[in-house]
Amino acid sequence: MTLRSEQHGKSMPRWMLADEDYVPATDKDSFVNRSILGLMEVLSLVRSQSSRAADRFSASAPVKVLGTLLLVVLTAMTRSEIFLITVITYLLLQLSVMRAGEISSVLKLSFGAAAFTAILLLPAVFLIEGYSPVRICAKLFATVMAVNLLSRTTRWDHIAGALKYVRIPDLFIFVLDSTIKYILLLGEFSLEQLQALKLRSVGKNRSKYTALSGVAGTLFLRSVEMAEEMHSAMECRGFTGEYRVIQTVRFGTADILHLTIHIGLLVFFIFLSRG
Amino acid sequence: MHIPDHYLSPSTCAVMGAAMIPVWTVSVRKVKEELSKIKLPQLGIGASFSFLMMMFNVPLPGGTTGHAVGGTLLAILLGPYAACISVTVALMLQALLFGDGGILAFGANCFNMAFVLPFLGHLMYRFVKERVKTPRGEYAAVILGSYFGLVVASLCAAVEFGIQPLLFTDASGQPLYCPYPLSVSIPAMVIPHMLVAGVVEVLFTVFIFTFLKKTAPGAFYQSGKKTKAIYGLLAGLICLTPLGLLATGTAWGEWGTAEIQDVVTGGTSLGFIPEGMANGFSFEALMPDYSVTGLPEVFGYVLSALLGVAILIIVFKLISGVVKAPRQHQI
Repeated sequence: MTLRSEQHGKSMPRWMLADEDYVPATDKDSFVNRSILGLMEVLSLVRSQSSRAADRFSASAPVKVLGTLLLVVLTAMTRSEIFLITVITYLLLQLSVMRAGEISSVLKLSFGAAAFTAILLLPAVFLIEGYSPVRICAKLFATVMAVNLLSRTTRWDHIAGALKYVRIPDLFIFVLDSTIKYILLLGEFSLEQLQALKLRSVGKNRSKYTALSGVAGTLFLRSVEMAEEMHSAMECRGFTGEYRVIQTVRFGTADILHLTIHIGLLVFFIFLSRG
Repeated sequence: MHIPDHYLSPSTCAVMGAAMIPVWTVSVRKVKEELSKIKLPQLGIGASFSFLMMMFNVPLPGGTTGHAVGGTLLAILLGPYAACISVTVALMLQALLFGDGGILAFGANCFNMAFVLPFLGHLMYRFVKERVKTPRGEYAAVILGSYFGLVVASLCAAVEFGIQPLLFTDASGQPLYCPYPLSVSIPAMVIPHMLVAGVVEVLFTVFIFTFLKKTAPGAFYQSGKKTKAIYGLLAGLICLTPLGLLATGTAWGEWGTAEIQDVVTGGTSLGFIPEGMANGFSFEALMPDYSVTGLPEVFGYVLSALLGVAILIIVFKLISGVVKAPRQHQI
C-alpha cells in the first residue's frame, strides 16, 4: 500500500500533464448521414401508417386498390388531354381532404417525379421536331399522386391483403406482409448500427467500404437469425406450411361512392376513345 | 434503374409482366423444393433485407454517394430463386407503397432486376468459380457476376426504352412513350452503369462477401449439381428479348443496319442481342401487319400479348421437361 502511494506521489504520468489539443481530421461521411436519413424516412413512413386508425368514412382497401389500378391503366392508355385533366382534378379533390402535412409530402413527390421526367425528356425536345414531353409528365404526376394517395390513406397490411382480389397468390401476400413488418425491425437495427458507426468514426475513416459492409453483413446475419426465430414461432403456433388470407368484405356507402366515381371515369374513357 | 410508368407502352408492360409469370412460377417451385425445411419467413425477411440494402449509400469519388442493388449478392447468399422472389417483393413494395418505379412497369422492372440481374450474376459467379478453384478465383467470380449482372440488367432496361419510339408513334409520327431510340438509350443507360454503378455494385458485393466469408462461412447458399435449370432460364432470357419486340408486330423494317451496329458497339456484353434479333426476324411471318387485315390496333396488341404468353409457357414447359428428364434417370 505504501509502495503504491509512493509511486503515485513520485511521478505523475506525463500524458496526464500534457494539454489536450487533439482535433480530429475532418472527413466526408455524407454516405452514413444519407443512409441514416433515408432509413429514418422509411421508418417514419412505416410507423405512421401502422398507427393509423381505420377511417369510417374511407372506402375499404380492396375497392381502393382496384380503383387505383384501374386509374393507372386508364391514365397510361389515354391519349386525350381532357381525360387526363379530369383524372388529375379528381385526384386533387381527393388530396384536398387530407391533412396539410400529408398534402405537401404527396405534392412534393408528385411534382418531383414530373420535374425529373421533364429534365430527362428535355433533350428530346431539341432532337425531335415538334415533340412535347408535357403529356408524359402529366401522366406521371397523376400516377405518382394516385399511388401515394393510396399508400397514405390505407394501412399497408390492408393493401397487401387486398391484393388477393388481383389474383396474387397467398404466398406472395404473406411474404409482402412480413416484409413490411421486418423492414421496421431490421431498419431499426441497421439504424442503430449506422449511428454507432458514426459515433465511433473519429477522424478520418480510411476504410469506409469495410465499415459499411460490416453493417450490411451483420444485417444479413441478423435477418437469417430472425427468419429462423419466426419460423420456430410459427411452427409452435401450429403453422403447417399453408398460408391463407381471409378477407371479410365490408361494403359501405364510401365504397359505393368510390366505385361509382371509378365506373364513371371508365365510361368517360370509353366515350372519349370512341369519339 | 427503376422504370417509372408511362415510359413504356402498356402492351410492352403486359408482355414483360407475362414474361415474368413463368419465372415466378419456377422460382416459387424451386424455392419450395430446394429449401424443404424452409423457412417461409426467410423470403419476407430476405425481401426486407434487399429493400434496406438499396437504402445504404456508399461513397463515390468526389464526395457524392450512390446505392447498390445487391441482386447478385442476394443470389449468392440465398440462391437465385429466393433472390428473384425477394427482389420482386421489394420492387412491389417500392412501386405500390413508395411510388418508386411504375405499377404498370412492374413486370419490366422485375424482368431487369429480379430476373436478369440475380440469375445472370449467379450464373456468371458459378461459371467462373467452378473453373478457377482458388480463393482468388472465387473473388473474381463475385466481381464478374455482380458487374455483368448489373450491366446487362441496365442494357435490358435500355432496350425496353429504346424500342418504344420505333414501335409506338401517334398519327403525326411523334413518339407516344419514351422518345429516345436505341442509339441514345443504350449508351445513356449502359455507359454510366459500366463506369459508376457497376463499380459500386462490385465493391459493395465484394466487401460484404468478404465480411461474411470471414464471420459466417456457413451462411452461403449451397446450390446442388443441377445447374441446368439456370441455363434453361438463361436460354429463356435470350428468347424473351425478341419477344418483347414481337409484341407489337410492326416496325421491324425500321431497323437500319446503322442502328444494329450501334447495338453491337454499345458495350462488350451485347453479344446476345444480334443473336436474338436474328431469331426475331423469323417470327415476322407469324405476326401479320394488322393494318392490312383491317383489325383494330388494340386487338393486335392483345393478340400479340396472348401469343407471347402462349409461346413463353410452351418454351418454359419444354425447358423444364428437358431438365426433368435426366433427373428421373438419376432416381
